[in-house]
Amino acid sequence: MTNKLSLRVEGERHVIVTRYFRAPPEAVFRAHTDPALVQQWMLGPEGWTMPVCICEARPGGKIRYEWSNGKGGGFHLTGEFVDLVAPSKIVHVERMHLPEPTPDNHIETRFERDGAGTLMTMRMTLPDAETRKRMLATGMEHGMEASYVRLDRLAVPGTARR
Amino acid sequence: MLELAKPFRMSQPAISQHLKVLERAGLITRRVDGARRPCRLAPAGIDSVDRWLRVLRRALSRNYERLDELLAKTAAIRNQEES
Repeated sequence: MTNKLSLRVEGERHVIVTRYFRAPPEAVFRAHTDPALVQQWMLGPEGWTMPVCICEARPGGKIRYEWSNGKGGGFHLTGEFVDLVAPSKIVHVERMHLPEPTPDNHIETRFERDGAGTLMTMRMTLPDAETRKRMLATGMEHGMEASYVRLDRLAVPGTARR
Repeated sequence: MLELAKPFRMSQPAISQHLKVLERAGLITRRVDGARRPCRLAPAGIDSVDRWLRVLRRALSRNYERLDELLAKTAAIRNQEES
């Protein structure tokens, strides 16, 4: 089984991400719910750290991840856990603050045992077309565009190094 | 719309439905020109979706490579403890 990331769009509002890990579901689930572990890998492009990681893994529990590029740049994400079934399922809601909050992204993550490893399937439900249109109308898209460009720029050197 | 429908084996109402979905998603714009409803691709809409997906893919790819390393490390520690 390859551990290549697959990302596909389903319909108008869903993004499905699948990825295989060479570790049992218990370990992969823990890496998604133990803040001391999340802090070590959920960092996005090269050069970023997560100085603040709040991850209360229980229904209703808070999520707050703060990223920093060490040069005064940063942004954060907040969210709430909706449902957790160890080691097979996590349902949560999250939004980015750029600094304006993006509409809620509803995410269901499943971990299935696959031989000695785990197949992860993450299903994101994005804001509906109406909400997206409102985002455009309020000009928030421009803020997001700028962030994308920043991320793009930041990510390029990391890619080149590999 | 008739011109758009021509290459497809679909009825006009079916094409009309598809166009409505694209318009709602901000991927095309349509205007009224007499009896015609010319459609136009909305590059901004497509760009922002594409760009967002590209950034997401890149961030996730890097995240999961780091997670692979972390999982390998914790497995090694566990094996040491067990042996």
